[in-house]
Amino acid sequence: MIKNIALSGLNATDNPAPGYPVAKSLKEDYSLIGLSYDPNEPADYFENIFQKIYLMPYPSLGFNELKTRLETIKRDTDIELIIPNLDAELPLYIKYQEELEQMGIKTFLPTMEHFELRDKSQLTNLSKKLNIKHPKTIEVSSVKELEEACEELSFPVMVKGNYYKAYKAHNIKSAIEYFYKISSEWGFPLLVQETIEGEEINLVGLGDGKGHLVGAVSIKKLTTTELGKIWTGITIEHKELMQTAKDFVEQTNWRGAFELECMACQDGLYIIEINPRFPAWVYFATAVGVNLPQMLVKLASGEDVKENIDFPDGKLYVRYTDEFITDFSKFSKLITTKEL
Amino acid sequence: MQLKQLMIDENNIAFDPSMGNSYQLGGSAKDIFELIQDGKDKEEISQIISKKYNVSLEDVYIDINDFFTKLKLYGLFQ
Repeated sequence: MIKNIALSGLNATDNPAPGYPVAKSLKEDYSLIGLSYDPNEPADYFENIFQKIYLMPYPSLGFNELKTRLETIKRDTDIELIIPNLDAELPLYIKYQEELEQMGIKTFLPTMEHFELRDKSQLTNLSKKLNIKHPKTIEVSSVKELEEACEELSFPVMVKGNYYKAYKAHNIKSAIEYFYKISSEWGFPLLVQETIEGEEINLVGLGDGKGHLVGAVSIKKLTTTELGKIWTGITIEHKELMQTAKDFVEQTNWRGAFELECMACQDGLYIIEINPRFPAWVYFATAVGVNLPQMLVKLASGEDVKENIDFPDGKLYVRYTDEFITDFSKFSKLITTKEL
Repeated sequence: MQLKQLMIDENNIAFDPSMGNSYQLGGSAKDIFELIQDGKDKEEISQIISKKYNVSLEDVYIDINDFFTKLKLYGLFQ
């Protein structure tokens, strides 16, 4: 039985990562180690949740750097499972999950093949298999291609990065502006997508890797921040969305957490994005009785997990700001020793 | 036409559990909702509301018609 778990995504700011809500879901039953990328990540200082915090090398440095760091952490804390919660680090953890297993560190992640199936640029093909609508999307890598795509789709269009960021452009001038804004930060290719009129609804789920959806909760964001992050939300019972989640897991044998982002429109449901991890609102699911992080840990341990997609609708989620005071010495210790 | 399944709470808020939308029901709207859910048609609802609020049937029918148009606009008819 797994006792010691490491997890990343400790940024609990206005652009929150999923690590803290995942940790809140697990803190009662497990010893938790925080994997941080920055001493400014607020959860670095949540001593009532994390036994230890380690600063990690950026994923762009590659697996050798990660492996060396994890060897130290394994030696110090005997971590048995890692739950990576950030998009940028997932490809590395997915690619090297067997090497991690050999180090005595389990993960519960999809295969690279399945991970790539839900890539934004591949979603058109996957949506056909799932028999669900998907807004027409064109991949672009130059301004010329951008202009052609905008002409084909007609304004307004969504200009999206392949990993992060999406903006609605109403004319070619703003489309080009967003093209440079996103590409300078996140590179190429970009995606130009037709806009869909409807209401966004979301689902967090967990697949067992054998085609079975073991847990899920669906919600609607009632208010969001300027970055589009949930501020208030409500649980909903949307049969078509739940069926889409079941179909996705069955078609892909998805192993691990995921989030469906969909638009409910007059002519049915459109799939917009599939994130290969827990969303930062995952504690909402825990609080309404579907503790997906705990189910993931049990699956990773090889335990049987009973399906749980039963939750009350009409439960309200309220995010709020808070603060606490700690000693600067902790900040300086984390910078200098890379541990806390 | 069938009204989407809505739940009306003690504060006269109708909640749509499939989309998470809620609607504040003012005045006679709660009565009309409940009558629709009871399977009454426009004419029957108009007669009941006309009697209950002591308003002419003609005026009530126009308002009920308008109310139905709004329900359709909000996608509350399936």
